[in-house]
Amino acid sequence: MTKNKILSKAKMPFCQGCGHGIIVRNIAKAMEQLGYTKHDTIIVSDIGCSGLVDPLFDTHSIHGLHGRAPALGVGVSLGLDNRDKKVIIIQGDGGVTIGLQHVLEAARRNIDVTLVVMNNLLYGMTGGQISGLSTQKFKEQKNFEVDVPPFEIVKLAHASGAAYSARATSIKTYTEVLKEAIEVNGFSIVEFSSLCTSYAFKKLDELQEVFEEAEVYKNERIPVKAHRNEKSSLLDRLQRIESDFDSKVKNKIGVVLAGSAGGGVQSAAKLLATTGMFSGLHSTMKGEYPVTVGTGFSIAEVILSKTPVNYTGLEEPDVVIVVSEDGWDKVKGNITEKSIVIMDNSLKNEETENINDKTVFGDFNRKAGKRGAALAALGYWLQDSGTMDVGALKKSVSSHKYSTVLLKAIDAGLEI
Amino acid sequence: MVFTDASMLITEACVKAGADVFIGYPITPSNRFYQYGTQRFPSFLAGPDEITVMQWMAGFSAAGKFPVSATAFPGLALMTEGLNMAYAMELPMLLILTQRLGPSTGSATTGAQGDLMFLNGAISGQYPIPVFSHSDFKDSWEMTYEAIKTAIKFRTPVVLLTSKELVMTNKSFDLSTLKAIEPIEKFSTSVVEPYKPYKTGKEMVPPYIPLGDDKYQVRINASTHNDAGLIKKNDPESMANTKRLKEKFEKRIDEITFFDFDDQKGAQKLIVTYGISADAARDAVNDLRNSGEKVSLLIVKTMIPVPPKVMEIMNRFEKVIFVEENIGGIYKEIIYGNNCPKKVSSVNKIGSLISPSEIVKAVKK
Repeated sequence: MTKNKILSKAKMPFCQGCGHGIIVRNIAKAMEQLGYTKHDTIIVSDIGCSGLVDPLFDTHSIHGLHGRAPALGVGVSLGLDNRDKKVIIIQGDGGVTIGLQHVLEAARRNIDVTLVVMNNLLYGMTGGQISGLSTQKFKEQKNFEVDVPPFEIVKLAHASGAAYSARATSIKTYTEVLKEAIEVNGFSIVEFSSLCTSYAFKKLDELQEVFEEAEVYKNERIPVKAHRNEKSSLLDRLQRIESDFDSKVKNKIGVVLAGSAGGGVQSAAKLLATTGMFSGLHSTMKGEYPVTVGTGFSIAEVILSKTPVNYTGLEEPDVVIVVSEDGWDKVKGNITEKSIVIMDNSLKNEETENINDKTVFGDFNRKAGKRGAALAALGYWLQDSGTMDVGALKKSVSSHKYSTVLLKAIDAGLEI
Repeated sequence: MVFTDASMLITEACVKAGADVFIGYPITPSNRFYQYGTQRFPSFLAGPDEITVMQWMAGFSAAGKFPVSATAFPGLALMTEGLNMAYAMELPMLLILTQRLGPSTGSATTGAQGDLMFLNGAISGQYPIPVFSHSDFKDSWEMTYEAIKTAIKFRTPVVLLTSKELVMTNKSFDLSTLKAIEPIEKFSTSVVEPYKPYKTGKEMVPPYIPLGDDKYQVRINASTHNDAGLIKKNDPESMANTKRLKEKFEKRIDEITFFDFDDQKGAQKLIVTYGISADAARDAVNDLRNSGEKVSLLIVKTMIPVPPKVMEIMNRFEKVIFVEENIGGIYKEIIYGNNCPKKVSSVNKIGSLISPSEIVKAVKK
């Protein structure tokens, strides 16, 4: 590999004596010694004093938001085709605090990036406030939030699955620790202590007194990459439906199916819609159910029409099929005098019997089971009204995964 | 004929147009985009939250991959920080926003058209983020393509605005009516030398070259930056670069102007609508014309920025009726502000679809 200068000629923007410049120089040195060039190095920077680093690296760079650099860097790393490129993320202790989730997520996935944490124990740009990584000893000196322990980011990253997590405390070790971290194939994090001469300490030995000791942890893991698999068209996988049957639908009709979750209402409605298509009609279908999909009501609205359907609302349904109490509670308000109502026998009571004079009761639940009741009632209605050929319904079912079971439910309805 | 839904058509159109990766965080009513995304996109990632999703999208885009995600307002609220970042960085991506009833978590399974006002101000400083809407299956296909094309051509995030019933209602559909979609060329083929990451020519859009390029040194920046992509505040170059974020859309607005205008000769009344309310408006217009009423229909698809051509049409009519499924007419307020002229009225509703008869009644009044 060709020797290349990673460090630019730009002047360090940091306060006199600030530790950030030392860390920057060591990152550049480590990359240079490992043979990386300007075109295969990508610096991802955060907000705060550590976010001023872009011009210091004569490489690719991307400067994002406070705390988000690890997530942004993960995106960059996963998006790169050339996996020999190296993504170095730089952020401060404030950035780690606000975006902790991103660090843990990158570690959990063991994404191939190196995260350099420049911990100066505080927020330097806003007046020296303490962060989630301010050490206990530092907070005691400041006499601020001493009862709240800091995050141990090196241990947290390790516990989350990082391939390499370390804290470096001696300047002499910086380059070597960084080289080790950068060479790791996977997520590596190195936390450095950095002197903030404006708000913390003027001397390095004072800083060393409050900073935690050096440590290194490793996980033997393969990094997670973004896999690329070309897949077939979703539209090519759809069933092609040609009109084979006639229907008695004059203009359009709206059908509501109402039951309980898990009762096959949505599936029966879809079969009704495709039955319409086999019968030369245009159809629409929409379902409604509570967010807890496995319990409570399940309603489906189907419109069958000679012409394409624009508006899919169904204020006054022509046909209402109800097979459970949950369904009844939900649709009873929409039934008009003109609605044909097909209901399960179990719902027979004073209220349901007097809803209008077009209500028919059948033993759908008992004959077809809870899961087949809606489909059985549908079959019953088609046969009774002659709206569409039952053959079209059976054709709809024929390509279904559970066609045998569904056909049984339809036949149960036809026998009623 | 097939029986399908707009979520599927949009997903398919994304991949056909060249989208590389779907980064999802599940939310109702964008569920089907997530489901179809796993089945169709070349790459799929499950983000741990919407803030991360937007950052990953930006990272992928900066590395030269076109990302797509789909969310609803609660997710958009978290993504807005990253959306501003990607906008300032000028990173192409598509965000599908399925509207549901708000405010806050509202009703996850009830549709709405309530998010346009937020999107109109989503980028701090009056910078327009392109927002497209679709009104039927044909649009689902074509506007998705146009949204991705716009994102790449203008190097910008684009929002495809939809709502629950538009993308979760199945319909019979003839696929042969759809135009073929070819992959869109992502990267700039001609670069003005010497290359600077944010230096632009008369098209006002910087060349799109991914991070890690072997020839050019790419610098991407969300803070106020100069042509070199480095933080620089209050100097003429950086200010020009910032103003350009608005000007690139204003000067080239005709390239991203999309609407359907069904003009009836002699009509003095105009119905203006978009998205899910367009279907009811189409039926209402048929009913009105059948009853002898003269009425024109404007279905807007470029919601933001507001195209001058759309306003020109509205200006021609003596009565303009806005139809939107929200509490007081958001698009109307974007066009006319709080000082609405007398000729403008609106049909609004929350909690359920606006019906054709409600529109007919308002037009006849």
